[in-house]
Amino acid sequence: MTRNLIELMVLYQDLDLMLKETAEAEATMGFEMEGREKLRKAMDDIAKNISPRFLRTYQRLHTRFKRPIVPVQNDVCLGCFAKLPTSYGEKGRKDQMIYTCEQCGRILYWVE
Amino acid sequence: MKINELVRILKPELFIPGMQSGTKPAVLDELVQPLVTGGFVRSKGLVIETLSKRETLGSTGIGKGVAVPHCRTLAVSDLHIVVGISKKGVDFDALDKKPAQLFFLIVAPPLDGNNLYLPVLGKVVESVRDSKLRQAMIAAPDFGSFLKAIQGG
Ligand SMILES: [Zn+2]
Repeated sequence: MTRNLIELMVLYQDLDLMLKETAEAEATMGFEMEGREKLRKAMDDIAKNISPRFLRTYQRLHTRFKRPIVPVQNDVCLGCFAKLPTSYGEKGRKDQMIYTCEQCGRILYWVE
Repeated sequence: MKINELVRILKPELFIPGMQSGTKPAVLDELVQPLVTGGFVRSKGLVIETLSKRETLGSTGIGKGVAVPHCRTLAVSDLHIVVGISKKGVDFDALDKKPAQLFFLIVAPPLDGNNLYLPVLGKVVESVRDSKLRQAMIAAPDFGSFLKAIQGG
């Protein structure tokens, strides 16, 4: 896998939410939902590619927030709506580093 | 959700009347491409991977020639629907084993302000139930004809 750290973490969170949020509703629409265990295994494999330090950060945040990773739009953290320094975005868009919001501590993902 | 609310979300640039792909992964790639071209996604790879993992949970081939690949992902800022039509059909691991000809790709952000994701998904599934309308959608040569078909012909 060539994916960078933040994208791996985003993928992990998207799948985590997928398992929790939509399964029941989708089953009632007629979608097959047999592969929960398979998906959980796939998530474990993704977690193995995230360094333990960042996985711990994610899990610690997860005890406080439903979504530890939040999008940034127009330099605003969409978790707590704090304005972030513009220089943050310049780095965050291309760096391999993980940036967190100074106000709420959530992990930031620049969607644009 | 009413059908005209669903129709309002559809866009001509997110309509593929002549899908070329012959396999499930290729279909996902072809459906995501207009989102990339339109600048609607931050990372194509991330969207495709999340959609593929969603298929692990169970195929989104709902049978009768229809597939509705969908996921929530942080890689998009708004809900989008891409409609694709394949004349020859593609095996999508549907329960009834029928090749899929009509595709609705639905992507939405985890925080979707109007909470449209599940209502949209439900409405799409409902809109393909009628076999006459379904056939008209598959036969639609252009976006205008497709809109007419989905709204009841
Ligand atoms: Zn914040």
